[in-house]
Amino acid sequence: MPSRLARAVLVALLAAVATSTAATGARAEIATQYQVETDLTCQCGCGLTVHSCNHLNCGSGIPLKKEIGEQIAAGKSREDILGHFQTKYGEKILSSPTTTGFNIAAWTVPFVGIALGGLMIGVVLVRWRRGTGNGPPPAGPTATTDPQLRARLERELDDLDRRS
Amino acid sequence: MSEIGRLAIVLGFVVALWGIGASVLGALRRDSRLVDSGKHAAYAFSALTGIAVLALLSLLLNRDFNVEYVASYSSSTLPIWYTISALWGGMKGSLLWWTFILAVCNAVVQLQNRHKNRDQMPWVTATMLVVGAFFLSLLVFITDPFERLPFTPREGSDLNPLLQNYWMTIHPPSLYIGFVSTTVPFAFAIAALATGKLGDTWIRTTRRWALFSWFFLALGNLFGAAWAYVVLGWGGYWAWDPVENAAFMPWLTATAYLHSVMIQEKKDMLKVWNMVLVILTFSLTIFGTFLTRSGVISSVHSFTQSGLGPFFMGFLIAILVISIGLLVFRLPLLKSRNELESVFSREAAFLLNNLILVGIAFTVFWGTIFPVISEWVRGVKITVGPPFFNRVNAPLGIALVFLMGVGPVIAWRKATAQSLWRSFAVPAGTGLFAGALSFVLGVRNFYAVLAISVASFALATVWIEFWRGMRVRQAMMGEQPWTALSRLIGKNRRRYGGYIVHVGIVMIFMGIVASSVFKLELQRSMKVGDAATLGGYTVRYDGIEFENDDHVERTYARVSVWDGEGPNAVQIGEVLPEKRFYKKPKQPTTEVSIWSTLGADLYVVLGSYDPESQLAVFQVFVNPLISWMWIGGLVLTIGTGVCMWPSYAERTATVSARAPAGSRPA
Repeated sequence: MPSRLARAVLVALLAAVATSTAATGARAEIATQYQVETDLTCQCGCGLTVHSCNHLNCGSGIPLKKEIGEQIAAGKSREDILGHFQTKYGEKILSSPTTTGFNIAAWTVPFVGIALGGLMIGVVLVRWRRGTGNGPPPAGPTATTDPQLRARLERELDDLDRRS
Repeated sequence: MSEIGRLAIVLGFVVALWGIGASVLGALRRDSRLVDSGKHAAYAFSALTGIAVLALLSLLLNRDFNVEYVASYSSSTLPIWYTISALWGGMKGSLLWWTFILAVCNAVVQLQNRHKNRDQMPWVTATMLVVGAFFLSLLVFITDPFERLPFTPREGSDLNPLLQNYWMTIHPPSLYIGFVSTTVPFAFAIAALATGKLGDTWIRTTRRWALFSWFFLALGNLFGAAWAYVVLGWGGYWAWDPVENAAFMPWLTATAYLHSVMIQEKKDMLKVWNMVLVILTFSLTIFGTFLTRSGVISSVHSFTQSGLGPFFMGFLIAILVISIGLLVFRLPLLKSRNELESVFSREAAFLLNNLILVGIAFTVFWGTIFPVISEWVRGVKITVGPPFFNRVNAPLGIALVFLMGVGPVIAWRKATAQSLWRSFAVPAGTGLFAGALSFVLGVRNFYAVLAISVASFALATVWIEFWRGMRVRQAMMGEQPWTALSRLIGKNRRRYGGYIVHVGIVMIFMGIVASSVFKLELQRSMKVGDAATLGGYTVRYDGIEFENDDHVERTYARVSVWDGEGPNAVQIGEVLPEKRFYKKPKQPTTEVSIWSTLGADLYVVLGSYDPESQLAVFQVFVNPLISWMWIGGLVLTIGTGVCMWPSYAERTATVSARAPAGSRPA
């Protein structure tokens, strides 16, 4: 059980990482104004992407949008355009971390953490199953001996008797 | 009045210290006089904090600009509701406001437990007073809200125009109530660890408080999203700003706690994990307070950068060290039964639910602090913005909604193949059908199709639960459908209230998915009489108007809204997007105008207006299903109310407890 569970978790982790990084791997594709504006952060302090910033006469967003248009008109790919802005303004202009070097940790640590959590749960579940008493499991709906449920059943039967 | 306020916070601090000492000593020595003294100190702390708040409010309403806080956050022309909300508009006032809410919670806890939990209450009192004393110490020694200026300005600087919105009157208070009330379950958890009484008593005592704080965290987050949506004018409602994340994380862990605590109640399992969740939730609220006041991570929500960061970090570390230390010390007493018959069980589903919720919380935390880590490791500033959070959290959110459909319905202990088929055949079929239908109708975004499938699945399981329950009651009791439904809910408020909450969450989820994936937008420069079409709407620019008063200058556009395009379009209304220029401080703002329907919002922003050419630039968005977010919030509220309403047995027990001995019920 643990090895099957571990394999399943590993496959899920790889799928999640692949899915989440698929878009970043697509940066070599054709650039669109919308996509590049979303890939860059406005530097006016609003915390939004260049596309979303709507500050009146924004001293950062408006010139950046113009520059993006010029880069696209020059026929550059999305990757090249982002590289241009990164060189000019620094890595902070990108709205999400790259997938190179230390920045890989940004993308993978969450899923590694969840996978580890899943493994721990798997171990816990196995231990709990071993802790269960011997004997056949109840067939069909499980009969309850929970005293709270029994008390509730009795109260509802009393309620029914009072009303009938 | 400032002297009264200052005296109140100083006395409140001293009284809190006394209360901590008396409560702890009283508990250790089993001295009821010291315990009572601690209790009275707790009441006095609450009263003194209330006096301080009233004093600051009085200074604001009287426009006493000699007080630095009043001069910084109000003006003689600020409308009264915003003057009141200036109480929490600045850092000093917000710290006092936090302490005041804690004081109110503290007083209520004292009243609720005046005849019970005698062993735990001294430790609960001490814990809550420690938190109160910390916040008051900041106000007493570092940042005095009653500080007077050496001169009196003729006019105040006014409240930030972005905060002059009715959401300012409800978003911060609701979020603060959510933050601060997590102190109550935390205090009871510490009391349980301190006394070694680690049964279910502390959980039962704080169940409603946990739900209460969860609810206000949910409301606070939703109100914040609504505020961003109607005020900021970028067409969105959530930017994964660090402060937004700081409010979201404790809600996630509180949600995990509300679910896993059910396993402890029913199966006596996960005792350690529930303790961890309570400690984590409270710690995250302190972390959020740290983020807004330290300047460590830049945020549009941050208060002025202050020197308070190290104090909050120190307090947070102290909380974690003490609470984890106590937890480790009491580990032998926290052994659980820990039995599980099958991984196909509600216990396992709830564990997975916790994994996803805490996983999302960790992801948000990691993304929030990663810029700091990156700068520390590489010396390079980076940004972790919305694309990161959306991309990483999308699959996790979908998994969570799927589990929302599984968890409530799967059997405890062991689900047989028969019970799985009976419970999930129809919902699974509904989910698959909905996904297939959306694909046939042209939805090609993978996550959107998956989201529609799991949302339909989750809604179908809730629907079937209500339907089956109603049919059983109708068959057994002969009740009419509405009677059967109301009695079904009344007999098990917690269960069916939870289902209603799930419906609310699914609605919010669908609103988020649709408005993110299917949003349409355009930007157009128009002269009077020009029209543009988007998403089945036509908007026509009809003219510009101006208004001017002492407080603000308004420029607003008249834009008529038409359903449809071309000659068959039918006018359905008008929107008035505007630009404002506040005179104190001199700051422009955007006021969007929204035509809202159940299916979509037409969201119109006046970008700019040139008086010479009379050209106006408009941004127009069509945001599908965004109303579902707000309606989902209302459904969530109803569900929470159902959960929290005391059952007949509880009300009867309360009446019996209050009745004199020997009395007969009426």
